[in-house]
Amino acid sequence: MSIQDSIRQTVTENPVVLFMKGTPTFPQCGFSAGAVQILKNLGANFVAVNVLENAEVRQGIKEYANWPTIPQLYIKGEFVGGSDIMKELFSTGELEKMLQD
Amino acid sequence: MTPEQVQTLITDRLSATACEVNGDGAHFYARIASPRFDGLGLLARHRLVKDALKDVIDSGELHALSLEKTLTPAEWAAR
Repeated sequence: MSIQDSIRQTVTENPVVLFMKGTPTFPQCGFSAGAVQILKNLGANFVAVNVLENAEVRQGIKEYANWPTIPQLYIKGEFVGGSDIMKELFSTGELEKMLQD
Repeated sequence: MTPEQVQTLITDRLSATACEVNGDGAHFYARIASPRFDGLGLLARHRLVKDALKDVIDSGELHALSLEKTLTPAEWAAR
C-alpha cells in the first residue's frame, strides 16, 4: 500500500485523527500540544499519529492535504485544518459541533 | 522581517482592507480583513493567505505566521 493510501485508510477508518509531533502525553512541539489541549478540552476521542516516528508519513501527510505544516486534524476523513484553524473553530464553538455530528 | 513588512505584504497581495500584525521577527500573528475572503470557508481563507505568501515562506524570510483572524470586511466591521 502506498503511503497516501495508508493515510487515507487511517483518516477514513477513524472518526477523528490528529497528525502531530510527539504523543498526546508528550507533545514535541507547541502547536501540536495546543491541538491536543483543544481536543482534550472538548472531551474528544481521537487517534493521534506521531509523524516523528515515520519520515514517510511526515512527508506524505503534507502532500495528502496539500498543507505544509503539522499538526493536521481530520474529522470523518476530511481535512479540517492546522493549529490556527483549530483554535478559531474552538473559540467559535464550531469544532465542538463538528465533533458531535 | 518586521511586523510592518509583513503587514505591507499581506495588504498588497490580498487587497486587505485591514491588517494587524504582531510578532518578534520569527513568529508573527496576523488579523486580516479582505474582500477576497467573501464566500470562502476558513480553510480556503487560510490557504489563500499562505499561497499569496508562498515565496517568502518557502525562502524562509517569513518563518512562521499564525492567522488569528481572516475576515471579510463586513465581518471585520461587525466584530
